[in-house]
Amino acid sequence: MPISLDRLERVLNPSAVAVVGDKRASGYMWLNALKTFRGNLYSVQVDPREVEGIAALGVPNFASLTEIPEPIDYVVCAVPRKIAPIIVRDCIAAKVGGVTLFTSGFAETGEAEGIALQEQIGALAREGDLALIGPNCMGLHNPRLGVRFHRDQPHGRTGDVGFISQSGTHGMHFSLVGATRGVVCSALISFGNGIVLEAADYLDYLAADAGTRIIGMYIEGARDGRRFVRSLRAAAARKPVVVWKGGQTRAGSAAARSHTAALATDQAVWEAIVRQAGALSVESLDEMIDVVHALQRTKPGRGRRVALMAMTGGQSVALADAFARAGWEVPRFADATYAQLGEFFNVIGGSYQNPLDMAGTIMTDRAALDRLLDLMADDPNVDAVAMEVSATFAAQRWERDPEELAALIRSLHRFRERSDKPFVTALHPSYVEAAALKARDALQEAGLPVFPSFERAANALAKSVALRPSLHPGEAGRRRPA
Amino acid sequence: MSDSATEAGNDRVAEIFAAARGAGRHLLSEVEAKAALGAAGVPVTPTRLADSAAEAAAIAGELGYPVVLKVVSDTITHKSDVGGVELSLDDAAAVEAAYGRIRAAVEAAAGAEAFGGVSVQPMAAAGAEVIMGMTQDPQFGPVLMFGLGGVLVEVLKDVAFRVVPLEPHDAAEMIREIKAFPVLEGYRGAPPADLAALESILLSLSDFAEAHPEVQELDLNPILARHDGATAVDARIVLTPA
Repeated sequence: MPISLDRLERVLNPSAVAVVGDKRASGYMWLNALKTFRGNLYSVQVDPREVEGIAALGVPNFASLTEIPEPIDYVVCAVPRKIAPIIVRDCIAAKVGGVTLFTSGFAETGEAEGIALQEQIGALAREGDLALIGPNCMGLHNPRLGVRFHRDQPHGRTGDVGFISQSGTHGMHFSLVGATRGVVCSALISFGNGIVLEAADYLDYLAADAGTRIIGMYIEGARDGRRFVRSLRAAAARKPVVVWKGGQTRAGSAAARSHTAALATDQAVWEAIVRQAGALSVESLDEMIDVVHALQRTKPGRGRRVALMAMTGGQSVALADAFARAGWEVPRFADATYAQLGEFFNVIGGSYQNPLDMAGTIMTDRAALDRLLDLMADDPNVDAVAMEVSATFAAQRWERDPEELAALIRSLHRFRERSDKPFVTALHPSYVEAAALKARDALQEAGLPVFPSFERAANALAKSVALRPSLHPGEAGRRRPA
Repeated sequence: MSDSATEAGNDRVAEIFAAARGAGRHLLSEVEAKAALGAAGVPVTPTRLADSAAEAAAIAGELGYPVVLKVVSDTITHKSDVGGVELSLDDAAAVEAAYGRIRAAVEAAAGAEAFGGVSVQPMAAAGAEVIMGMTQDPQFGPVLMFGLGGVLVEVLKDVAFRVVPLEPHDAAEMIREIKAFPVLEGYRGAPPADLAALESILLSLSDFAEAHPEVQELDLNPILARHDGATAVDARIVLTPA
């Protein structure tokens, strides 16, 4: 029976958290990661040598969960697997909200003892109505409340992306790498073996969660495939859902007696499910973060005609190629646009078909960039705008004269204020990576979308545009008559 | 189909499956597979079993020329590879001669026990060859496939999948998802294929898969998609083992 959403609400928004079994050998990783937790943090540890180290951290320690003098909303359990059933019983006795079993060594080992222990723990949790996350996982991350499982995860910030991960590493990387791109989570759940709560439960929760605007997930397989499809479909009808399916677990069946069975690979079926549900497939962590970044920072668009703005002739060609490959049309501008461009565009060393090869125009006259952007905003042949920000040309100048970068950001910001067209920038780190990263951060701070290559900008914009219309499919017209 | 027609169709399908299982088979013959699909509302060429050259000619006379003969066999997967298919047979003499050739070729290639008679069916009007099929996914249950059909389907892999049950927009989208879709829109002067007919077959197959979980695998290859309808000219159904 699915666990109630209220239960997940309590676990993901705890007032009191306890860590069971944290150890010096791991650098007290859990207690250190949870130092930023805004509520009350407790430790449970009976080993006298560990108790000393925990006291030094200033975290109150108890011999058992049941001895802690306040209700515990969230427990992290890091004990060896043989002890895990005891802690699960304690969680039930102490009526905690839920527990993450960081402990591993269960069914994922494929050995009899691990499988038996997992079954025992699962049965205990279900019988005791305990929200059990994992085992073999990193559990929960809520940056707003400082709930973390890695000491570099963001805290004291509120994000709007809910992320669900079958892998601890991919969940961790989404939060850490995402933060460098301005992508912060509303909630992140690493659920590992998912023996009690599985992907569909977390999807249901995030679909209903008001603080989550976008859902991302890394998944390798679903235990109850039909239920997963229902949950994915329901979630994708409410918010953008981006799915990274890992692992080619099954090739076409070698024993197949039909073409259909031979061609129905795991990957083909998963792609179909994601598409059918109205969600979007991505193939890597970088692509996941790119698409989420685009969904967060670009306005929803419909059309596929893009205006391209580059600094040189070579980059104009490369930018146009990258966008064309990602399925974009690079149209001629409207005649009125060309008429105006003819008045001020510097064609010596430049050109203004589409793409605009504009360095010669905007580097001599800063106001020209605003004029160009205004023309793109008003051109009826243009649905979206992509612009190269060239570190090669400008990063060292931005270092010397921060006002130049600030002026660029003001121009881009002004464009976004006045235009409903989706807009992205591509800032390749070039040979000045450190300076380029600073510029990227400044652009991101201003809320602008920035991608490290033309290809990634083109792909992320294409996917984010493709995803959003599915949220308003006119459901009535899509349903089969009964 | 109306509810009562659907019910009668489901009963007929169950009878066909039970008969095959009773004979110890879970691979249905083409004749059985088409009868089951026909009962489920899928347009198939009328196809009957003949155990002799004379019977084949008699059936051909009833169905109308030209006809196609195909070997019926429990063991042969790819009938044309062993000389088991004869097309465009215009009269009784041609049918009887073809019967003899098929029997000789199949017995030479796969032994006498591989030959179980022939199926006789009218030659279908030409059209674009597409494939539809179904298989049971271990996680998600029945999934449907649509693609460009013919013998190269596994090489080109130009196919789209959807999980059952399909909504009408799923059927419409999967047809438009394949790379070869422009072929169906009318390529080089050919009339466009009847996409509504193809969508309707996909939805019938979705219902069929839901109503009959004992179907393990299913291929309709090819379906000939004309400008005014579409007809499955070959069908294969594999039932679950038990």
